[in-house]
Amino acid sequence: MKKYFPFIFTLISCFTTILAQEENFFLIARNKGEKILTTGDTIRTFGFARKLSEQPGVPGPTLVVKEGDSVHIDLLNMSQGAPHTIHLHGLDVDQQNDGVPHLSFEIPHMEHGFYHFKAPHPGTYLYHCHVASTIHVQAGMYGLIIVKPSDGSNKTWDGGESFVNEHSYFLSEIDTVWHRDSVLLHPYDTSHVMNHIQIPHFDPQFFLINGLSDQQLLDSNVVFESSMGQQDFVRLANIGFCGVRVIFPQQLKARIVSSDGRPFETEESSDTIYVYPGERYGVLTKSSVEFSDQIRFEYLDLNTNQLKNTQVIPVSVQGQLGLPNFDQEEITAQLVPNPFYGNTDLHLSLREGRELTFKIYDLQGRLVEEHEERFFTVGQHEVALGKSLRESGIYTLQIISAGNVIQLEKLLRLE
Amino acid sequence: MPGWGKKLVALGLFFALCTPLFAEKLIDTLFLNQGKIEMVDGVQMPYFSFNSTSVFSKENTRLLVDVGDSLELLIVNTDSVDHAFQVKGLTASTSISANDSVWVNVELTETGAFIYYDPSAGEKYRYMGAAGMIVVRNPNQQTSDFYWNMKDHQSVYNVSLSEGQNVDWSQYYPDYFTINGRSNPDINADPAARVAGKVGDTLHIYMVNTGQSIHSIHFHGYHAKIMYSSKFPDHVGRNKDTFPIYGMEVVALELVPHQPGEYPVHDHNLVAVSAGNIYPNGMFLTLLIE
Ligand SMILES: [Cu+2]
Ligand SMILES: [Cu+2]
Repeated sequence: MKKYFPFIFTLISCFTTILAQEENFFLIARNKGEKILTTGDTIRTFGFARKLSEQPGVPGPTLVVKEGDSVHIDLLNMSQGAPHTIHLHGLDVDQQNDGVPHLSFEIPHMEHGFYHFKAPHPGTYLYHCHVASTIHVQAGMYGLIIVKPSDGSNKTWDGGESFVNEHSYFLSEIDTVWHRDSVLLHPYDTSHVMNHIQIPHFDPQFFLINGLSDQQLLDSNVVFESSMGQQDFVRLANIGFCGVRVIFPQQLKARIVSSDGRPFETEESSDTIYVYPGERYGVLTKSSVEFSDQIRFEYLDLNTNQLKNTQVIPVSVQGQLGLPNFDQEEITAQLVPNPFYGNTDLHLSLREGRELTFKIYDLQGRLVEEHEERFFTVGQHEVALGKSLRESGIYTLQIISAGNVIQLEKLLRLE
Repeated sequence: MPGWGKKLVALGLFFALCTPLFAEKLIDTLFLNQGKIEMVDGVQMPYFSFNSTSVFSKENTRLLVDVGDSLELLIVNTDSVDHAFQVKGLTASTSISANDSVWVNVELTETGAFIYYDPSAGEKYRYMGAAGMIVVRNPNQQTSDFYWNMKDHQSVYNVSLSEGQNVDWSQYYPDYFTINGRSNPDINADPAARVAGKVGDTLHIYMVNTGQSIHSIHFHGYHAKIMYSSKFPDHVGRNKDTFPIYGMEVVALELVPHQPGEYPVHDHNLVAVSAGNIYPNGMFLTLLIE
C-alpha cells in the first residue's frame, strides 16, 4: 500500500517541478550474483544491477547526482527470496524513504519500490539494503552515491576548492562462509514479529577496495595518477565490518576536508585517516614532487584492533603530465656540476626570452629554495643554485614559466 | 596598573558572589556489586556494577552534575576481594579492600562525560560491567539529555574471568552488544537511552564506550554535531552521521532534528546488531521525533 503513494507523488511532482533537474535511476535487486575472487574462486552474491542482462556488481553502480537534484530510484526486486530495500545512508531522507523494513517499506519479489529525495550537501553517501542488513550488506547489496556541487563541477562543494581528478575508494570485506546458500537464504518473517536470523562468525578472507583485492585490484589499473602541482580529490567510504587505516604517501600532502557529506570547519592535515564502518571522508591531495609510491589500506579488527590485512593502491605522480605543450627545444638546462658540494650552476640556453622561476624541493616535498621570478633573454645564462640546501641527498629542481613547471632536474648534494 | 587592580577586585567580587550559587559539593555513594546480567535471549553472565544501593542492578548509576561542581563519592566494595575506583582522566586509581569503602573526590571543571570504573585486576571487572558515567552539564542550556553506556560482551569470557581463569584478548569476539545493559528491542524501553523529542529541540546524547571493541554508531535521518570527544578533542564541531567510539572513550553529540519520524541508530559494524548470533538483537534503537 505504502509503495504506491510515492509513485503518485512522482507523477504530481513531474508536473509541478518541471524546471528542477530530475535524476532517475532504475535498479534491480538480485540474489544470484556471481563474484570471482582474486583466488579464482566464485561465490554467490546479492546485489544491484541496472538491467536484467547485467550481473549485480559488488559494489553496485555508483549513482552520481548534483546538489539540489530531485532523485528518484525505482527498485525492482527480482530475487526469489527475502524482500529488499534501499537505505539512503547519510542522505537524511524522510522516514518513508529511509529503507528500514519495519519503519518504511520493503519490496517483495517481483515488485517495484520507489525512493525519492532531494540531493543534499555535496559529498559521498552510500546506499544499501536494510533487510537482514548484516547478511544482505555482506552479501554485496551496497553502492556509492556521489553528490556533486549544483553546477556539477570538480569542486569539493559550491565555493569549495577545485580539483582535477577524483578517486573513490569504497572499502568492504568478504567472508566466503557468509556466501553459502545456508546463510544467504535465511528465513524471513515479513510481519516483523519474529525476525530472528542467525549470523555466522565473521572472519573475512578478502579485503576489498571497490570490490577487488590483491592481484585483482592491481590488475584493474587502479593507479592513482597525478601530476606535480595538480590537486585531486579522494573519497573514502567504508561499508565493511572492519576499521580501515588509510595511509597516504606524505608527498601527497593529504588534507581531510570533509566527512559524511559535510565540510569541516577546520580541515585536518594528516597522512593517516581511520575510516570506520559507515563513515566517509573527503581528502584533497597535491604533490609538489614527482614520485611513485602507494596508498596503504590497513584493515583492522574492531574487537582486537589487530591488523588483519593490507591492500595498496599504487601512486604515480608525474612531472610533465598534464602540462601545457611546451617545446622542449626552446630551453635546455644542465646542472654543472651534479652531484655537487655546496652549490651548483644551472646552465640555461633559451631560444626565446621568458620569465623564469626556480624552486627546489626535498624528497618529502618541502620547498627548500625558491628564486624570485626574473626575465631571461635569448641565449646562454648561468644561475647559481642550491645555496640553501643544508643536508646531503636528492632534491628536485622545478623550472617554472608562466605558472607551469616546464622542466624538472634531479640534484644530488654531497656532504 | 591601578586600572588592572580595580578590575581584579571586581572580578574577585564577581566570583565570590557567583561561586556559592553555582558550584556545589555533591555527596554520593556507589556500591560495587556482583551479580548476573541477563541478555535479551535469556543468556546470563557474571557481571559487576556500581549501584546506588547494595542491591545489584545491571545498570551502573549515572552521576549527573553541573560544570564546576565537585563530587564527594563514597565507594563501597561489597565483594570479598579487593577492587579499585578511578575516574578516567580525572582521578588516580584508589584501591578498596574487600568489604571496605573509600572516599574519592572528583572536581568537574569541564562539560562532557567521564567514565568511572574499576581499574583493578587488569580491568577485568571493568570489562565485566563495572564502569559508568559522570555527565557534566552546562546548567544554563535547555536540552533534553540521553545517555548511552555502550558495551560488548563475550559470554564465555565473563564466565572464565569470574572463575579466575585468563582469557586471550587477541581472540576476543563479542557475542552481545548492549546500551545501558539492554539490546534491541529492549533499548527503546529505556527512557534514558531512547531519544525522543520534537523538531527543533536541542538533544544531547552522551555516549560512553565501556567495552573493548570500537563501535561505529550510525544515525538515520539526521546529522549531529560532536560537542565533546575524549580521544579526539579536534573533532569537536564536526557534523556527521556516523561516530566511531573507541573503548573507554566518550563522544557527546548535539542533535537538533529538522524533520519528524522514527529513525534507527545502530552500530554500523553490523555484526554488533546481534545477540547470541541472532540478528537484529544487538546495538540498535530508534529516535522518535514529533
Ligand atoms: Cu536485501
Ligand atoms: Cu548504512
